[in-house]
Amino acid sequence: MSGLFKKMFLVDLFQGLWVTFRNQHPKYIYTEQYPAERPKVAERYRGAPRLNINPDNGETLCISCNLCALACPEALIVVTSERNEVTKRKDLTTFTYDTSRCMFCGLCEDACPVDALELTQDFEMATYTREGQIWDRQMLEEGPKPTQYKC
Amino acid sequence: MPDSTFLDTTELVLNMGPQHPSTHGVLRVILKLDGEKVLGTECVIGYLHRGVEKIAENRTYAQFNPYVDRMDYVAAISNGLGYCLAVEKLLNVEAPPRAQAIRVILTELNRIASHLLWLGTHALDIGAITPVFYCLREREEALKIFEKYCGARLTTHAFRIGGLLYETYDGFEQEIRDFCTMFVPHVDEYEDLLTHNRIWVGRLKDVGILSGEECKEYGVTGPVLRAAGVEWDLRKAQPYSGYEKYDFEIPIRQNGDTYDRYMVRMAEMRQSVRIMQQAVEAIPEGPIMGKVGKVIKPPVGEAYVSIEAPKGELGYYVVSDGSTQPYRVRVRPPSFVNLQALDRMIRGGLVADVVAVIGTLDIVLGEIDR
Amino acid sequence: MADEQKPGGSEAAPPPGSEAAGQPVKPAAEAPKPAPPKPAAPKPAPPPPKPPATMAATPWESDLARELKETFGEGISATSTYLGQNFIVAKPGSAIPILEYLKLESDFDYLVDITAVDWPKRAERFDVVYILYSFSRNERVRVKVLIADGFQPETAVGVHLTANWLEREVYDMFGIEFAGHPDMRRILMPDEWQGYPLRKDYGILQQDQRWVRENLGIESGQ
Repeated sequence: MSGLFKKMFLVDLFQGLWVTFRNQHPKYIYTEQYPAERPKVAERYRGAPRLNINPDNGETLCISCNLCALACPEALIVVTSERNEVTKRKDLTTFTYDTSRCMFCGLCEDACPVDALELTQDFEMATYTREGQIWDRQMLEEGPKPTQYKC
Repeated sequence: MPDSTFLDTTELVLNMGPQHPSTHGVLRVILKLDGEKVLGTECVIGYLHRGVEKIAENRTYAQFNPYVDRMDYVAAISNGLGYCLAVEKLLNVEAPPRAQAIRVILTELNRIASHLLWLGTHALDIGAITPVFYCLREREEALKIFEKYCGARLTTHAFRIGGLLYETYDGFEQEIRDFCTMFVPHVDEYEDLLTHNRIWVGRLKDVGILSGEECKEYGVTGPVLRAAGVEWDLRKAQPYSGYEKYDFEIPIRQNGDTYDRYMVRMAEMRQSVRIMQQAVEAIPEGPIMGKVGKVIKPPVGEAYVSIEAPKGELGYYVVSDGSTQPYRVRVRPPSFVNLQALDRMIRGGLVADVVAVIGTLDIVLGEIDR
Repeated sequence: MADEQKPGGSEAAPPPGSEAAGQPVKPAAEAPKPAPPKPAAPKPAPPPPKPPATMAATPWESDLARELKETFGEGISATSTYLGQNFIVAKPGSAIPILEYLKLESDFDYLVDITAVDWPKRAERFDVVYILYSFSRNERVRVKVLIADGFQPETAVGVHLTANWLEREVYDMFGIEFAGHPDMRRILMPDEWQGYPLRKDYGILQQDQRWVRENLGIESGQ
């Protein structure tokens, strides 16, 4: 009997409509106005790679140990170095990172023993060419410079 | 059911997919139709085949870990948990209790996220557009927690073999508690929108029935099996990662139709909240990484470990030859096996029901094709 | 798989046969710990002595194992257990009767998975593995069959319907044809594809050039 009553007075439909009505209030707006309003990603976000430099003297922190290249499942990091006769250590010559094949798993930054390679919070990495996705040492140290939009 | 109607029209072969929005990916279903009635189906899969099992044989154990996230990409954490447990079994180590508790919390949160995406898209398929917005809104909260915890939202790579890499962040427990208290009223909201809605009930009741015996015969697991009255959940049957410590129920329904599968998944979300609430109050202190060396090199052997993923039994059969790379990793994907029952469920139904039945199976093509 | 690996990156994925070279991969390659990494001095995995070349399985003693041995006699080569997981090694001909017996007499009514493992150096090249589960006993058992290349094992579709797609996948990936299967076609790879990808002699960069050229209109998918 109550079932028939509910059916006649469209109780089920009004129940649903009441939910949508409750969510009409402007305080429930969830949309982010993306390019104007930039999202704040988490601290641990794994985004664009960066090769850190020592802020005091501007030298790279990388010791060319090649561990990141070995850790990478996609083998997309290539590190080359040459031996410095004075300090008896390896000096970094080139460092390329192919972001087009990167899946941002973070294994390279885990492997890095000196915190030189890091996945940062930058996430805007689109380029117009495939070659632009392959980052060299300079690009890795400077980081991407996305266009900033204002509204 | 007779194979022809009194109108006796000619049989029509209709190709649905692979670019059909309601097949949830690149699934192609070839339908043999007599008017509106489905006489038979054939699934064509493999459009998303990436050779994950082959990749595994060419990577080290740790290197393969991020790839498993890309199979069932809406429940990446469950995939990672299964793989880590399988390799841990081969190594004969166990994750420390703290790691296990955090794993349980994140896996249950992932189950909720997966079910929410299922609910939203399933309702969208049936024609109810409203729920998807609310579902994705709540899913976003879960994804934010993943992002804060491990730095990625979907392909998380959250767990490592032997335990965890990341310690919880400040306020993790409180955020989980807040999520739980926030989420339960939202489930009621979804139920308000759908459970008694006459169109929803009309489209789902007695559609795509699969009985418990048929489920076992087809190897169907997960909510589909539980909706058919079989009270079986790997978290209870063979507890892993400390699930035996938590008090929860296995929701079951008896009819095995699409509506029951919907009800089971809704109840499962509530149970997941319960597990999370218990787990978050009892995260033990201690290390998060077990005794696993830097080089993961399991002894020669093989192991099959399976977990209850949001879609069903997700199994990993790992064979080690004693080197740093797995000799063979076989993934037993729940969606692949469940999809096989599609033909049985839809035969004799109507074309409109195909969409409902594909939706209710909760398939992810990344996992089917691997 | 298109950008799975570029030729320049092949050094990080040594071929599976390189185990004799003493693991050239450097220890910190995986770095599963957040602890300060030490590049040198690899800590060996829990069992420190070199693992034996074969699986350290122990005989599986139980009522079920004895029962099966009595019933099938010569059909069962071994009943073993490893890491608490039981498995039966069966002769090719008796695999399906064992599955049937387990289903009907011992209630192993759920066929979880069928898969295969390729051991190219062995005379019986493939392991075909059936993973079974019993709802009532809450127990798993694996049935392993060793077969030679070209041998056609009998299909399990007559016992468990779920074997249909699983066997098709084994055929697709390993080229093991199941005799009596109702629909023995490829399932994941395209129907006309040549070669069986999960065989050990199929390289990770290998592909069916002709198929790729004809159907995709490109020279290579790599």
